[in-house]
Amino acid sequence: MLCKLAWGNVRRAGRDYLVYLLTLTLGVTVFYAFNTISMQVDIAGIDEEGLAQVMGSMLGDLTYFLAGVMAFLMVYANNFIMKRRKKEFGLYQVLGMGRGRVATIMALETVIVSVVAFVAGIVLGVGLSQLMTFFTASLFKTQIANFHFFFSVHAFNLTLACMLVMFVLTLLLNLRAVRRTKLIELMGAERRNESIKTRNPWIAIAIFAVGVVLVGVAYYRLLRDGFPLTATDSKLQEAMNQFGITTAMVTVGTFALFWGLSGMLIKLLQSLRGVYWRGLNMFTVRQLAAKVNTVCFSMGVIAMLLFLAITSVTCGMSIANVMNENLERYNPVDVSQTYVYYTPDTLDFYKESFNPSEADRMVLADSTVDLYSAWHGDTWHGDRKGKSADNNDEIGKKVNIADVAGEHVQIDSYLSYPLGGSNPSVIPSEMCKTMGEKLPKAFGGSNADAMGLFVTPASQYNKLRQMMGEEPVHIGRDQYLLTCDMGGELVDLYTKYMAGGHALTLGGHTLKPAADKSDEDTAAIANSAMGSNPGTVVVADELLSQLNLQPYSSSLLVNYKQGMDTTEADESIKYTVLDNLLVDGKESGSWGTFITRSEMYTQAAQMNGLISYLAIYIGFVLVVACAAILSIQQLSNVADGSRSYRVLAQIGCDDRQIRHSVMAQQAVFFLFPLALGLAHSFVALKVIIELVSIFGNMSIGGTVGLTCAIFLAAYGGYFLVTYLMSTGMVQAAIATRYSE
Amino acid sequence: MQTTHMATPVLEVAHLEKVYGALGNVTRALNDVSFTVNRGEFVGIMGASGSGKSTLLNCVSTIDSATSGTIRINGQDVTRMKQAKLSQFRREELGFIFQDSNLLDTLTARENIALPLTIARTNSAEISTRVQDVAARLSISQVLGKYPYQMSGGQQQRVAAARALVTDPTMIMADEPTGALDSKSARLLLESLEALNRRLRATVLMVTHDSFAASYTSRVLFIRDGKIFTELRRGDTDRREFFDRIMEVVAMMGGEGSDAL
Repeated sequence: MLCKLAWGNVRRAGRDYLVYLLTLTLGVTVFYAFNTISMQVDIAGIDEEGLAQVMGSMLGDLTYFLAGVMAFLMVYANNFIMKRRKKEFGLYQVLGMGRGRVATIMALETVIVSVVAFVAGIVLGVGLSQLMTFFTASLFKTQIANFHFFFSVHAFNLTLACMLVMFVLTLLLNLRAVRRTKLIELMGAERRNESIKTRNPWIAIAIFAVGVVLVGVAYYRLLRDGFPLTATDSKLQEAMNQFGITTAMVTVGTFALFWGLSGMLIKLLQSLRGVYWRGLNMFTVRQLAAKVNTVCFSMGVIAMLLFLAITSVTCGMSIANVMNENLERYNPVDVSQTYVYYTPDTLDFYKESFNPSEADRMVLADSTVDLYSAWHGDTWHGDRKGKSADNNDEIGKKVNIADVAGEHVQIDSYLSYPLGGSNPSVIPSEMCKTMGEKLPKAFGGSNADAMGLFVTPASQYNKLRQMMGEEPVHIGRDQYLLTCDMGGELVDLYTKYMAGGHALTLGGHTLKPAADKSDEDTAAIANSAMGSNPGTVVVADELLSQLNLQPYSSSLLVNYKQGMDTTEADESIKYTVLDNLLVDGKESGSWGTFITRSEMYTQAAQMNGLISYLAIYIGFVLVVACAAILSIQQLSNVADGSRSYRVLAQIGCDDRQIRHSVMAQQAVFFLFPLALGLAHSFVALKVIIELVSIFGNMSIGGTVGLTCAIFLAAYGGYFLVTYLMSTGMVQAAIATRYSE
Repeated sequence: MQTTHMATPVLEVAHLEKVYGALGNVTRALNDVSFTVNRGEFVGIMGASGSGKSTLLNCVSTIDSATSGTIRINGQDVTRMKQAKLSQFRREELGFIFQDSNLLDTLTARENIALPLTIARTNSAEISTRVQDVAARLSISQVLGKYPYQMSGGQQQRVAAARALVTDPTMIMADEPTGALDSKSARLLLESLEALNRRLRATVLMVTHDSFAASYTSRVLFIRDGKIFTELRRGDTDRREFFDRIMEVVAMMGGEGSDAL
């Protein structure tokens, strides 16, 4: 009997339950699909070591976040249902049904809807996860070798557990609502005039103005100060505090803006008499005002969430893009090996604080080492995954770079002060001062000045150019060339310096620029993920030897022999323990990074995939959650206002006008938070782009555009569905004749 | 016809039928109803619950559609009108007063009254003067700035009446307008309606089950089981006497009538 009643109720209240059902289904779908990521990664053929674990743990944390968002959504949707159904539950009680049985009916209704939502959600989720596999594969730049249908028991169990928790939660909330609510509240008051909380319009306008000013000032501060990431340690705390203030300002400003919005709108439109007293405009504005008062908080939250979503997606994917685009430039050769020399600073550090006994074995190099002849050692005995068994015989085998090396070059980087000195003579801040420019934000307060620019002999630079198929650049004895492979602002700075004909002074010699442009494509001094050369002065070899500068590092850049298989060559030298370089039994430095080009490419693809994935994951969840909240709010608004729409129809308002009014109201609720969120994002992104430009020119386009388009489609889709459902509800309300 | 200058028919209902349901489960809510209302008349329709009086009003006010028969308002047959035309017709020719005032909660009294005019795109200067006028006539000028929840029930009903009148409709439809009011507020509202009818020659069609309310009209149609049972004209008698005659008919109409009427 109770089951029958509950089933009948669900069917009859279908329209109300539809929102709940959709939200729940969507939650289950997204939840299941994202928890199958590790399986997708498998099928997409991404079998890189560690990636699955890294992603697994990151996505694990995000799953909690997602579950939180979904729980919030479901409670929200549930409240919406309860509000609609209160009267009916009241009626049962008036007719003499005990509270226990009413609660049972309600629980049964919740069970029915939850089960339907769960089944539908899992079915959709399984479908979505198959599709997402292709998406995953394209993000990680792999091909799917053998695609097959898959079902993740793990994800299923997780989703089921999550649903059960949420189900119990909503059930408890509902039971509490039934127990607590007085009968009179359940039954009555539906037809009583709703009291309207009015705000003094002038106060509202003032608050709105305060909001606008706060947001504006926060924008200005952010554009001026940037993010606190680039600050030096001493100023970091201060910068963080300032950034905190900016964040607080923008947050408070956003809420204030929405709080005052309705009052401002009313005053504004009322001052335009011809507009206000025309058609349903007055009604539309008043409805908005009545609702904005109660939902200004959630509009603020939504604006901030959308801001987070847009920024994280755009920013994450753009960084990944930049890294990918510049990969070729960052990795000019098959493999590179760096050797870092001890500087006076390093020695002092060891002697004074770090490890004095170690310092005795260290010595300052007075000239650079020939890395090509020094690069040899034994194959490393290690836990090479899947290889150890086969290659045991190779352990301890002697390896020499000459075994694989074809063309090669060594690039020596010196500091711009003589041996034993400490003050660099070429520093970015001086260069900026010479040109009357501001120091680029990319440098921020970092220690670029303490180190200064590197100095490299022209012959080495030109050899690398030749290896890359470029013409050598002639650099005379009294000339210099500035190189940098980090793109963006840095390269612009150096190009501008040379184009301006500014001189550099190095060891008492005044040098003139040898070219008017810095070529970033041949500027790398080693393979790297994000650039290896923040700035180097290339000078003639004779001059360099005369200057007697402090060596900083040497890099050996090697291309494999013609016709050699890259993977085999990589494998043969990858696991080598290099012999120490000793001069008179002392070390002049230590072996630095060994980087193969293919390794960088794989890492970048993974990184790109990972960042994109997380950005999309977070972004999508946030956008969908926002849209769903808005949708539920709007539908409940329409349901609350159905009487008003009936009255409008009775006094002769045609359908078209009513639909326009509904559209206008909902457009405001959907578009205002979006507009503000976008505005915040633009400002934040502008700063982020400046910051990231140290890694190269960040462009927002391609994948980002597509992703944003998908998000907007999801958001717009919600808007459209909400609008269509609303007009349906309005039609139904109008069609309900006022009864006898 | 008691006086000759009132003889123009505003509403002509002929052989009106309204049938609900289908196939063996048919309810005949209106069965061959015919009557005429002349310009400037104040007509009451009385009947028990389920007698068909609200169905009649709904059909006449174009909110519901008739099964057969014709309804002419100002010479136009509303049963043949298209949906879009009907909205316009309601807007231009009819004014509504409901049992609960049906004011929009979010609008002030002034805005509620102005609503039919803004929907019809009247210019704002004219809206202002017409709202002031009608508010003065119904003595609600002092509540124009208030929201419905800030007004008494009687004030709300008079604001609703003002909303019905502001477009100068051909006919005012009132559905149990005093139903939700205490007796003092009810009397005030009825007196305003009577005054509107007398002084401004407004045509009013009022559905009620309250004999006291009906006694303010100039003619009462009694409906029972979907048919016009009888009709009473007030003529030159005073209101008390008319009230007694209405009570007689109510008593005559049926044993079960006393509780419903």
